Amino acid sequence: MLLNRKGSGARWRVRPDGPDKVTGKLAYLTDMTAPDMLIGRVLRSPHPHARITAIRTEQAAALEGVHAVITHKDVPGLNRFGIAHPDQPVLCEDRVRYVGDAVAAVAADTIAIAEQALRLIEVDYEVLPIVDDAEYALTDDAPSLHSQGNLLHRNGFKRGDVITGFDNCAHVVEETYYTPRQMHTYMETEGGLFIFGEDGRLTVYAPTQHGFMDRMQLARILAIPQSDIRIVSSPIGGSFGGKDELNVQPYGALLARITNRPVKLHNSRWESVRAGLKRHPMKISMKTGVDCSGKLIAHQVRIIADTGPYATLGAEVLNFAVEHVIGPYRYDNLDVDGFSVYTNNGMSGEFRGFGGNQAIFALEGQFDRLAEKLGLDPWELRLRNMRKSEDPGPFDQPIALTEGAKQVSSAMTASTLWQERGKLGTEEQQAEPWIRTGIGAAFTMHGAGLGFGIPDPAGGRLTLAADGKIEAVFSYEEFGQGLIATLEQMLIEQFGFASEDIRIIIGDSDVVPDSGSTTASRATSMMWKSLQNLRPLFEEAVLSKAAEFVKFPARQLRFGEGGVYAIVVNPDSSAEECLITYPALAAACGEPVTCTTTFHFPTSATEKVGAHFLYTYSAVAVKVEVNQLTGRVRLLHQYHAVAAGPVMNPQGFLGQIEGGSSMALGFALTEDAVMSGGQYLTKNLDTYLVPTIAEHRGTIDVQAIEELPEDDSHGPRGIGEVGSVTLAPAIAAAIYDAVGIRVTKLPIDPELLLAQSFDQLLEKAVSGE
Amino acid sequence: MKDSMRPLTPLEASSIPCTLNGHEINLNVPPAKRLLHVLRDDLAMTGTKRSCDIGRCGACMVMVDGVPVNSCLTMAYQCSGKSITTIEGVSAGGIDPIQRAFLEEGGFQCGYCTPGMIISVKALLDHNPDPTPLQIEEALSGNICRCTGYGGIKRAVQKAIEWRKESYESESISG
Ligand code: FES
Ligand code: FES
Repeated sequence: MLLNRKGSGARWRVRPDGPDKVTGKLAYLTDMTAPDMLIGRVLRSPHPHARITAIRTEQAAALEGVHAVITHKDVPGLNRFGIAHPDQPVLCEDRVRYVGDAVAAVAADTIAIAEQALRLIEVDYEVLPIVDDAEYALTDDAPSLHSQGNLLHRNGFKRGDVITGFDNCAHVVEETYYTPRQMHTYMETEGGLFIFGEDGRLTVYAPTQHGFMDRMQLARILAIPQSDIRIVSSPIGGSFGGKDELNVQPYGALLARITNRPVKLHNSRWESVRAGLKRHPMKISMKTGVDCSGKLIAHQVRIIADTGPYATLGAEVLNFAVEHVIGPYRYDNLDVDGFSVYTNNGMSGEFRGFGGNQAIFALEGQFDRLAEKLGLDPWELRLRNMRKSEDPGPFDQPIALTEGAKQVSSAMTASTLWQERGKLGTEEQQAEPWIRTGIGAAFTMHGAGLGFGIPDPAGGRLTLAADGKIEAVFSYEEFGQGLIATLEQMLIEQFGFASEDIRIIIGDSDVVPDSGSTTASRATSMMWKSLQNLRPLFEEAVLSKAAEFVKFPARQLRFGEGGVYAIVVNPDSSAEECLITYPALAAACGEPVTCTTTFHFPTSATEKVGAHFLYTYSAVAVKVEVNQLTGRVRLLHQYHAVAAGPVMNPQGFLGQIEGGSSMALGFALTEDAVMSGGQYLTKNLDTYLVPTIAEHRGTIDVQAIEELPEDDSHGPRGIGEVGSVTLAPAIAAAIYDAVGIRVTKLPIDPELLLAQSFDQLLEKAVSGE
Repeated sequence: MKDSMRPLTPLEASSIPCTLNGHEINLNVPPAKRLLHVLRDDLAMTGTKRSCDIGRCGACMVMVDGVPVNSCLTMAYQCSGKSITTIEGVSAGGIDPIQRAFLEEGGFQCGYCTPGMIISVKALLDHNPDPTPLQIEEALSGNICRCTGYGGIKRAVQKAIEWRKESYESESISG
């Protein structure tokens, strides 16, 4: 199904959160204020690596209007955070390891006073030699950033023996690929409001992707019970993985506790840049060999990921990359070795695609190069090695069976865009000889869920509330992806409720069950599964109550718009009458009727940590234009085939692919948080360039392939990330088609694409010949 | 005493007359204070968003005498005698056709860029009801949207242009 408004008919719905968004009425958590509120600010290290010899806060504390100045001494509990491995100091004791490290924080009456107070804090640093390169970090000469050295995590995968494998190859391609430090650039920077109530409980109003994880981490820092903390975490002005880890929360919470006043923090863009997470820059070296028929014989990969100063999810991102450099192909011999390495550069962590973006760019590049050596069509080479539906996953683990790989491949190769390949007219190229067009494609199999070995709980709750609303309660977060809209649509389409019947409750740890994190393309799948589990329970509970009051057997009743209806046996009869409204039923029941489900994200029967069970497949074709006078690349058309099971929300699906692909465009062409000597050179959006509407001149077609095997019980697969991983290698292939230049480093340096015979071209341009 | 140790005396406020969303008001703020902060912090009008503070993202867009400006770069004194329209002003008479087009076409996701984006679209269409794709691109290239990839936004702008044309035509027929 080609996704668009027209083809979706009534399934294309206005988002319930839309009216407040387009009118500006929606209060984001960083828009909130409270009476008597103080402003919080954080003092961060100017040095990428230094020893702290003294911190003097007296002058700052003495400034009129300053209510608290805190350092590591004021952290009552664990002075560390980190989702997977808490090694990042809340407030540094004796050493800073990057330019975002927090050393002190203040709360004051006004922004101006808070900033003045930061200037009055004196910190003595003894600057230390820095480690600003991940490969250098692994050498014996490099200073050690942590007690265990500079290696956060090493992971790999082996099959057969690559050495003898390469001996038997007809062609071998060796290449090294580099990917940038991409920034999430959510438009709402980090921030929030922190309030200790009369009852001594802390309420945190701050964006996150997993409220219960924040609650656990904050309880550990503050040394108070988790039950004393309430996390309100939606709505969110964008996250893309970047707000999953704690950011300003520890400082807001500590300052609010010490001053006993509400405290607000809202990062400036620069503070967001220096302290926040980025995508791991990776260096991926690949050696891949085939026999003369194009069959893959051996694949050897070495990944070096720059994880920055602290762990957060660096190990998990590496695991994902290790799985995705193998991808949807079968090899006789495999040897993947990956290293996630501490440096004094910026923090790297979770970001949409989760290590897949880097891996797939490299892997697909190998196929294009090998195909050329073989004199084969690049897609033909992929087809010859593509996994069959019953093949095991990349780590030889059992995975849910689908025809996804074949489906997206057939759809893409049948697309008009791909068909146009090789037939590109030369007329336009003659008119402007420095403009060249090309077509390229790439292929992806992207895992969803956290993978084997990592707790990945799911679940939710349905309630007929006292006022007659049907409450759907989940701990997922709305950061723009349209989770509320998708949940509403599922309740309407699967249960028959009207939108007015429904009340959706998310993002408040006091009232929601733990449905796990809103990450890893998992929330829609898990809501769908929850509703599948809840439907018979809820029907049983509510319809049997209704049966008592309407004097009808429960099995002849059904949910409908506004209330409970009798199932019409005779389709001709127009007896579509509501027997009892939900409010009347709720009143008659006297108390809310609730059903709950809890389960675990489906995992593979394997021992390999991080191995996935559910995958989304995609094949992407693009047409680009390369300007050989400027070296600039323009994306003209895109075609995405995505096999992810049934489409729950066509507008949301389309938006995820379009939005993900836009991020991938930036990853390919312009985005890089440039660092030198551990310092950011790109401090704001004047130098860090995300795509604007002008870079999106082209069209985009998104083909959703919904068919799943008949006995599939997993329903819709995740689509939050897959749109962001396949575009970059497709662009690289299209550039090669256009100008015959191979790209190995992103973002693509325009200089690489300048015409070699520049003078000749200029001549033509001037003479118009 | 070091300079930095002096207690901070708030900058002197002056009274700046202007019109805000149709209401005549006096802004009692320091003349160099940025309009963005006046709106958000002093007037509690948070529909106008803050993101880069340097005029590169458009989240803070408002209209001053019908012209779209980045309120993060506009100082309060520059508004003297001018008419300012924020997203709250656009929405004052109910949902504007541009806003309706964003709703129907899915021209937003997280919504954080949306108020600024709608201001830019409104300023464009008020001035040029039938812009070319290139003119649309130019008018909106100062508004960054990180979520949508601009697909829904482009469709919404087209829809808004159609609707405005239709209502103009039906008005001229009935008039
Ligand atoms: S906040 Fe004004 S342009 Fe970005
Ligand atoms: S909708 Fe999120 S930035 Fe545009």
